[in-house]
Amino acid sequence: MVIFILGPIVWLAVHAFASNWQYPNLYPTGLTLHWWSQVFLDSALASAMKNSLITSPIVVICSMIICLPAAYAVGRIKFWGRRAFMIGIFSANSFPKIGLFAAIATLYYSLNLMGTFVGVIIIQLLGTIIYMTWIPAAAFAAVPRSLEEAARDAGASKFTVFRTITLRMAMPGILVAIVMSFLAAFDEAQGTYLVGAPAIYTMPTEMYSLVQNYPIQVAAVFSLLLALPSVLLLGLARKHIMGGQLADGFQLK
Amino acid sequence: MISVLRKKSGEGSRTSNGARTSLLGLALSFPPLLLVLIFVGIPILIGLTFSFGFTHGPNRVISLIGQQIHVKNHWWGTFAAYSDVIHDSRFLGDLGLTIFVTALSTFLVIVMALAISIYQRLIGGKRASILVTLSIIPLFVPVVISAWAIHTFYGGDGFMRSIFSHIGINFPTLTSTPSAIVIGSVWTALPFSILMISSGMQAIPDVLIEAARDCGAPSQKIITNILIPLAKTPIIIAMSFTAIGILGSFTIPLFLGPNQPTMLGVEISNFFSSYNRPQQSLVMAFIVFVAASGIAVSYVWSNVKSARESGRI
Repeated sequence: MVIFILGPIVWLAVHAFASNWQYPNLYPTGLTLHWWSQVFLDSALASAMKNSLITSPIVVICSMIICLPAAYAVGRIKFWGRRAFMIGIFSANSFPKIGLFAAIATLYYSLNLMGTFVGVIIIQLLGTIIYMTWIPAAAFAAVPRSLEEAARDAGASKFTVFRTITLRMAMPGILVAIVMSFLAAFDEAQGTYLVGAPAIYTMPTEMYSLVQNYPIQVAAVFSLLLALPSVLLLGLARKHIMGGQLADGFQLK
Repeated sequence: MISVLRKKSGEGSRTSNGARTSLLGLALSFPPLLLVLIFVGIPILIGLTFSFGFTHGPNRVISLIGQQIHVKNHWWGTFAAYSDVIHDSRFLGDLGLTIFVTALSTFLVIVMALAISIYQRLIGGKRASILVTLSIIPLFVPVVISAWAIHTFYGGDGFMRSIFSHIGINFPTLTSTPSAIVIGSVWTALPFSILMISSGMQAIPDVLIEAARDCGAPSQKIITNILIPLAKTPIIIAMSFTAIGILGSFTIPLFLGPNQPTMLGVEISNFFSSYNRPQQSLVMAFIVFVAASGIAVSYVWSNVKSARESGRI
């Protein structure tokens, strides 16, 4: 199990520092930092990194603004069409992404969104919606009403109750949704490539060409850089994700 | 418990402003719905008309660019593009591989997730929690990287071949074979299933397991008669999400699979950009979508059923 899960990652990580590696040796001929400087000095790779670090946070913030009110409504208000809404979001997600992007291309041409920053943001936004609605909705639904009522009885204003009780108790779920959305946006390659190339490259789309045109060590360095934000987020949200916030979010209630 | 609370607090406000809160709910859920309608619903509908040979209106540009476009010859369109795809021997090979990889990978993922979750539930301890943490790691690795890492690990000069050659065994090169797609799919899909199933198992009360143990039930009986039936809903959710994800996957088969036959996700992209046959490409996307919808229905059905059993509906 350790070899199955960690083996590929470690194997690739070591390549990032290897000067040369001959089959079937189990360790490289020498160690070097040469590949790292090559990545940072390459303007195409550097601009891809910059693009990724700009787009992903914007996508997450847009996703929060658009989806969190809806998540609150689904979690707390028993309105007509609530279940249909959740299933609709889910079925939109089960259409094969690559086919969807092919279909979106037609719309993008007529809206002049091809090769634009806004076009890339929208494409990445689509992949985050399911996380940003489902997980926080379950978190909002799980906040006990009795606590809120007790706070209201004690004289707290509606806004104070929402801020100090509802929002705070739903926070772990929202945090997990933010992490998952960030990863989904940061990770999105097929649609970004179709819509953004050749004007806008992000790290994952750059990775596709990198793998074919550069030595394996450069791709390894780039992979490590690409994995860095995810590892930081893992440290941040591991407790809540393992604590069942993610699992709760995917059960329709 | 939550539903009871909801019922109690709902009763007071329902009479006077029930309609108002209902409207508020609809209004709040409108923005994401609008986004999905415009950028998923409409493109899919337009794509559907295009696949049936409607080449005017929004489909005009793509009909001019694409090759082998069939134009409708009835008022409802034409099946010509569908017939192209179904009679393409390459498509049949792709479909076979896609179904094989999806079925095998989903099976392996669920078996592994079940084994780890049951181990954690019945035996527990430090080793179990390390095992669960380990299996979650792929969730945080971007797919492009996992695909590339697995590509080098099982490739011609990768670790597996290197280490086996030291003990004198010629380990096969798995990269560019269906086996590598299965390995990659399992690797990336495992975390979600583990999270779903293990949290389902953790929710089973200790009392039930202890009572069965006191009556002398062997572990095997506890697993088949208590753990698996009570965690059925999360298991089905994990199964359908895994299968839908693998069915439409692109990056994993692109990096790890053979050139021919390949999985439909890759073939959709090939037909769209490399072969410039957008109509046939969309036809394949709809075939995958129909298969995915079949799986999605089982997911929704399982959720509704479990909600009914626990009295939430």
